[in-house]
Amino acid sequence: MAAAAKEILTRRPVAATIRLTVPAGGARPAPPVGPALGQYRLNLMAFCKDFNARTQKYKPDTPMAVTITAFKDNSFEFTVKSPTVSWYIKKAAGVDKGSTRPGHLTVTTLSVGHVYEIAKVKQTDPFCQYMPLESICKSIIGTANSMGIKIVKDLE
Amino acid sequence: MLAWNFIKHFPCKNLSRHILRDRVRPLCLFTFSTPPSSFSITASLSYSSSSSSSCFTDESFTAPYLSVRIHCPKHVLDPFSEALLCFGASSVTVDEDIDEDAASGSSLVSKEICIELIFPVHEEVKMCISQAANSIGLKEIPKFKVEIGDEQDWITKNQELFQPVEIAEMLWIVPEWTSPPVTEAVNIILNPGFAFGTGEHPTTKLCLLLLQSLIKGGEAFLDYGTGSGILAIAALKFGAASSVGVDIDPLAIKSASHNAALNNIPLEKLELHLAPSEDSSSGREIPLRKQQFDVVIANILLNPVMELADHILSFAKPGATIGISGILSEQLTNIIERYSPFLEDISVATIGDWVCMSGTKKGKFIDN
Repeated sequence: MAAAAKEILTRRPVAATIRLTVPAGGARPAPPVGPALGQYRLNLMAFCKDFNARTQKYKPDTPMAVTITAFKDNSFEFTVKSPTVSWYIKKAAGVDKGSTRPGHLTVTTLSVGHVYEIAKVKQTDPFCQYMPLESICKSIIGTANSMGIKIVKDLE
Repeated sequence: MLAWNFIKHFPCKNLSRHILRDRVRPLCLFTFSTPPSSFSITASLSYSSSSSSSCFTDESFTAPYLSVRIHCPKHVLDPFSEALLCFGASSVTVDEDIDEDAASGSSLVSKEICIELIFPVHEEVKMCISQAANSIGLKEIPKFKVEIGDEQDWITKNQELFQPVEIAEMLWIVPEWTSPPVTEAVNIILNPGFAFGTGEHPTTKLCLLLLQSLIKGGEAFLDYGTGSGILAIAALKFGAASSVGVDIDPLAIKSASHNAALNNIPLEKLELHLAPSEDSSSGREIPLRKQQFDVVIANILLNPVMELADHILSFAKPGATIGISGILSEQLTNIIERYSPFLEDISVATIGDWVCMSGTKKGKFIDN
């Protein structure tokens, strides 16, 4: 109990939380990494080297979702998650952008099977491991709908 | 791991092929299930004078970007941030300080928080924000303000971070705009620009220490992936006869040649070569003879070091020492597997999560 209390007291104060999409193995100090991290005086090259090393196992340029916690002493921590749900949806549906008028204009369709497959992959994300597959599926369907992509039972 | 079995047997298009490089061994996708405290990196802020030194950047670094401040109802912060990233924002930042000021300044508890977004300069900010707001069911689009981002600001801040680093006793890496803290030490003066290698990173330290132990005087050294040129310059300072630095990034070559001048290295001692990058179809080979070097170090990343293994090894004389870094400890087995057929007396040094593997090249040296 005392150890936990001590941990809370010595926890470093947070300056900001930064969320970014960075291509796997392709972090460079240019925008958006540069300005987003540079603003809080974080060591850009250290982040790039670390991020690139940790994402070597992915196909180059796969967009990874990164969350960086910048502390007031200019140190930082980051977690990397699998590509965003919208990226998977676009890849599976074969489209580049979502619809410009979601709800009114359907760009394309995806099957329930695709949703399931994406959900299975997303479930391996940290912090998602205990989420029931059904909730993940619902969230994916929601994102797809907001992109103007309809989910159908089977693709013709 | 079970997920992969499902996906393999599933009749639909196999998405895993789009993501993972290695189809044969489906490794666990995410190694980040450990609590966030595992990747802590410290950097200290330098309060030294302004960095008036020139900065080696190309257009991509000084590219304009859009900086947007937008209000966000606190209760939808997470979904809204996610949605913004989905619909075109490059980054979403929540500044903790702003929240505190707002809370302490007013008697009302603020229901909104101001977040900062970065967009590529050609992005339709208004459309993206309205799509994002729409997708999470916000009734109205929050107020926002768009400005052109000030790149000089963050570039300067980044330069200021760099301060003298003591690698070992009497071995310092010193920024161009600071005077060496210990004048009698071996001081490597650097202006890294945006090339990798300031001496602060564990891999740079590992390689510098390896170099220091290997160079006795008169060696020919190859720095594959030279970045700022730090290793090539260090080798010469330790007594090597000549250094060659190779990199695929023209900025690195620029930075390395500037740093060589800072350290008064004559041109004939330090050669720099721009290596053809993967997509370059010029077929140009680096003009170096095979089996030319006594020490070869490659501090890059796992994939290049694996793909270029034969190439890197080819430049070393038999009996030369090869050092490989830029590798995480979890990636070490891959490297050892790849290089051990060609190296003997393999040893590994570690700092934190990073390792440096070194060994001597097998084969007899044919004295002509």
